[in-house]
Parts: sequence; C-alpha cells; structure tokens
Amino acid sequence: MKSHAMSLPSQVDALPREVQRFDMHFRIQHIIMLTTFLLLFFTGWALKFSEVETSQAWIRFWGGPKTAGIIHRVAGIVMLLDGVYHVAYLVYRFAKGKLRFDLVPVWKDVVDFYQNVLYFLGASEEKPKFRKFNYLQKFDYWAVFWGVFVIGTSGLALAFPTKAALLFPAWTTNWIWELIYIMHSDEALLAIVFILFWHFYNEHLRPEVFPMSWVWITGKMSVSDLREHHPAEFERLFPEAAEKGAAGDESAGSM
Amino acid sequence: MGRRYPLLSYLILLVAFFFPNRLLFADNLSCLICHESLKGTYVTAKGVESRLHVNGEKFAASVHGDLECTNCHLGYEDNPHSSVEENVDPELLGIAKAIAKKSPVDPVAQAACAQCHPDVYEDVKQSVHGANIFDKKEVDGALCLDCHGSPHEIMHVAGAGHDASASPVAYGRVVETCGQCHEKKSVSLKYGFSTKIIERYNESFHGKKYHLGGSNLPVCTTCHGAHNIRAQNDPEAMVYGVNKIELCGQCHAGANAKFVAAITHKPIGKDNPIPYYAEKGLILLTFLVISGCAIHIVLDIFALVRQTAQVRKRRRNEVARNESSVAG
Repeated sequence: MKSHAMSLPSQVDALPREVQRFDMHFRIQHIIMLTTFLLLFFTGWALKFSEVETSQAWIRFWGGPKTAGIIHRVAGIVMLLDGVYHVAYLVYRFAKGKLRFDLVPVWKDVVDFYQNVLYFLGASEEKPKFRKFNYLQKFDYWAVFWGVFVIGTSGLALAFPTKAALLFPAWTTNWIWELIYIMHSDEALLAIVFILFWHFYNEHLRPEVFPMSWVWITGKMSVSDLREHHPAEFERLFPEAAEKGAAGDESAGSM
Repeated sequence: MGRRYPLLSYLILLVAFFFPNRLLFADNLSCLICHESLKGTYVTAKGVESRLHVNGEKFAASVHGDLECTNCHLGYEDNPHSSVEENVDPELLGIAKAIAKKSPVDPVAQAACAQCHPDVYEDVKQSVHGANIFDKKEVDGALCLDCHGSPHEIMHVAGAGHDASASPVAYGRVVETCGQCHEKKSVSLKYGFSTKIIERYNESFHGKKYHLGGSNLPVCTTCHGAHNIRAQNDPEAMVYGVNKIELCGQCHAGANAKFVAAITHKPIGKDNPIPYYAEKGLILLTFLVISGCAIHIVLDIFALVRQTAQVRKRRRNEVARNESSVAG
C-alpha cells in the first residue's frame, strides 16, 4: 500500500523515471486472484447456464462435469487462501508501521466523483486531483473484498454441504440453502460482469493504458503517468517538483 | 419387409387371406405381414382408437423380440381377432378389468406384463402410480408403457449414458420421461405437488451436472424409486422423514436432517421471503452496479473524445498561426 518514501529530489530534473506502486507480494496476490478468477468464471459459467446447449461442449473441454467441479473447488479454495494471504500481509505491514491507508474510502472520493462528473459533462475544465488510488480503483478493490466474502462463504457451504449443515441452526433450513445458492450464483454473475465492464475498461481499454496497464507485472508507474493521473500523490512524493511544475508548463504529461 | 419385397409380401398376403390356417397365424411373421404394412388407426367396438402399425425390426431388436405376439395379445389366436378374453387366465383378466379405463386399447395385453414380471406388478400396484389406478380408479398415474414406451419396442435400461435413442427410462432420458406428466400443470394441481418439480430439479446442482453430461448424479428414480414409487407423505417413501436422511447419506456421508432439507423441488416464491427477496435484491444490485459502470464509462469516453478534439483543434490553430506568421 505504501509508496516507498524516497529522499525528495531537490530539482525537477532529478525526478526518478518511475515510482513503485505494488510490491512483489501484492503482484503475486493479484496474479493468483486473476488466475483463480478466470478458472472459476470458466467452469462456473457453464454450470450456471447449463440449459444452454454450448455449455455441454464447454464443460467437456474442462474435462466433464466432475473434473470441472474439482477445478472449480480447488480454484475457489486457492482464491480464499489468496485473500487470507492478502489480509495477513496487510496486518504484517501494519505491525511494521509501513501500512498507509491509501485504499480506505474518504470524503475526498465523493468530491472527486462529483468533480469528475462535472469534467465529463464539460461543466468544468478541471480534472479531480486523485491521490494514489482514485475512487474507481477503490471501488474495484472493495468490490473484490465483498465478492470474495459473499461468494467464498457460500461456495464453502456448497462445496462441503454436510459440514455446513452442522453449523446452521435448525430454524434456517427452510431458506438457507436457497439463499446460499442465490448468493453464490447471482453474486458471481455480478462479479464477472463487473470485471468485464469496469476492470477491463479501466485497465485495458482506456487510451492511456491500451492494450494493458503493465503495472500489475512491473509494479511500477511512470512518474509522468503519476503526475497526470494521480497528481495529489505526485505532490505528496515530490512537493518541490510539483510546485515548480505548477508554476511552469501546465501541459506536462498530457496525452 | 413390405418395402423390400413388395411382390413377395403381396403373395403371402394373398395366400394368408384365402387360406387361413391356425399354424401359420401362431407365428409372429403372420401377424407382421399385415401389421408391418398397416398404417394409421382404427376404432374398436368399444370406441377406442388403436394404432395398427408394428415395426417388426424394432420389435425383433427389443428385449421381447423372442416372444410371440400372442404371449401378450392373449385371445388373439385366430383370425379375425375375435375371441378376446375367452382363453385368458381369470386373474389376468381381473387386472385387465381394473386397468381398462386407463389402458383401453388392449387391457389384456397391458395386464400380460404381470405374467412374467409378477414382482414388478406387485410394486406398481402398491405404488402411488398404481394405487391411483387400481384403488382410486383414476386414469392418471403411470403404468408399464407410460414409462417404458411402445410395447413393441421396449429396450434394456442398462448403460448409464446420455444416449437419446435409449429406453425412455434409461439414465439419460428418465427425467424427460417423468416430466411428461410431472411438468403438466393440471396433474400437479390435481395431486397437490409442486408445479415446478422438473424445472427446480434442472436448476439444482444435481440437475445442472446431469444435463451437462454427468453420469453419477441422481435422477428422479434414484431418490424416488421406480416401480415402488410412493407419495412423499407416505411413510414408505424413500424421501419420507428419516428415510430421506439415509437416502441422501448414500452419496453424502454424514447427511443430517438440516442437510437433506436442501432439496425440495419447491419454487422460490413469496412464501419463502428470505431467498425470494435476496434474489430480487441481488438482481437490483447487479443492475445498479452495471448500469452505473456503463454510464460512467460512456461519460469517460465522451470526455476523452472531447479532450482529443480540443487538443487537435489547438494544434491546428497553432499550425495556422505559424503559417500566417511565416507568410507575414
């Protein structure tokens, strides 16, 4: 979460080319998340839409319903472990005093959103000055948290139904199974469509990242991108350069 | 036969017509000479429409291919078919009378199954299907042919594949076969079971994996039985009370009462508000999130296009200014 705090350069010319955005742990967590997400998506989709004719062929490609089911369960457990890894790593960083709460939604996000809409509509010339993570990225991040919680808990109950039945109180049995099924199936559809729309658009299709933002592999973002898209973070890291830049050419880093 | 050797068929027919002979007619061939070529239906003296065609090839390939026509069509031993019920065992005739309303075409032939399958007959008679016909004198409820298909084309059930040409009660087809009656709203309402039994099965994990080509999933008969099927409120039913726990436990080790409550085949309606409104809520959430994202993306693209246009315009103006200054 924390950008590495480097000694502040005294001159704009001495700016580094890139800044660290995600360390190795976060990048590994993302790769595990992405792999398991796709596996779960591919094997689960055909199950959700089993009445569609092509689903049969698609499931055969994944080794038949039984094998696809095993892949789905294993991928699901790995994703949950990935979530545990992520939270444990956050706790570790917190204990070390290195955790910055860059992803916690704050009031500024609401203001940024409002400002952004004004900018979109042409009512304002000024783009919101985002911090390290803008409200879109925070939404993306917390959507995964919510999704893993809802789909993960219901998925565990579905994967180990006889064990889950031991935990449920008797008065819930008339609705709990239907509820779990709905949670898993409908929430998964939401997650998939959300990723396809939101994450793909923001991280693959926008002109400045097309065909893909490489930050998930390199963990680094160029300083010019940082200045353009996360100016508040740029100011925090390089206050002198920001001051100088503001006084000088406005068009720095424009597309 | 008729199609392959029309002249021969004609000659045999001719001979058969003019020289009726008991010996000849005891043979399947002599029945098939006519019934292979006959098409359509005729109406019996009792006013029942009866199909005349018999496919000899399919009959020969069926599990009963070695039987003679008259093993089941008792009392049809001379020509024309006149002495129905005369030489028939009184017990069988009793069955035939009991099912005559349900199976009017040839109740004796339908009852004849019991000759060779007495255990199955006892099971069916006591089942919810059989009791409805034998005791309640209704016409609903499955008898042999409703599930096993055409009497002349009954096939082996063995082989758990998804072959569409298999017996209607084979693994891959049995859900569809039960659905012939259990998907009918009129039947469901009359007998008070869920109108969405098949639909809910298809939506369950069992049904989904079954339709995706799985072969270890339970189908209707796995849990409810076949010939011995009982109503769900019959203590003898496989799915009644503790029986259901034992039943589910055959695949799901450690199944308990709270676990077996998962499968009901009941639709999710307002009478079960938590899942009903949870589903509505999630659909609304999905709609809001996706439409929100879509609007945001469209606005973003709009702004990007505008920004690009502005940059181009500025550049064009600069170029024009430079040119005019050069010219001046």
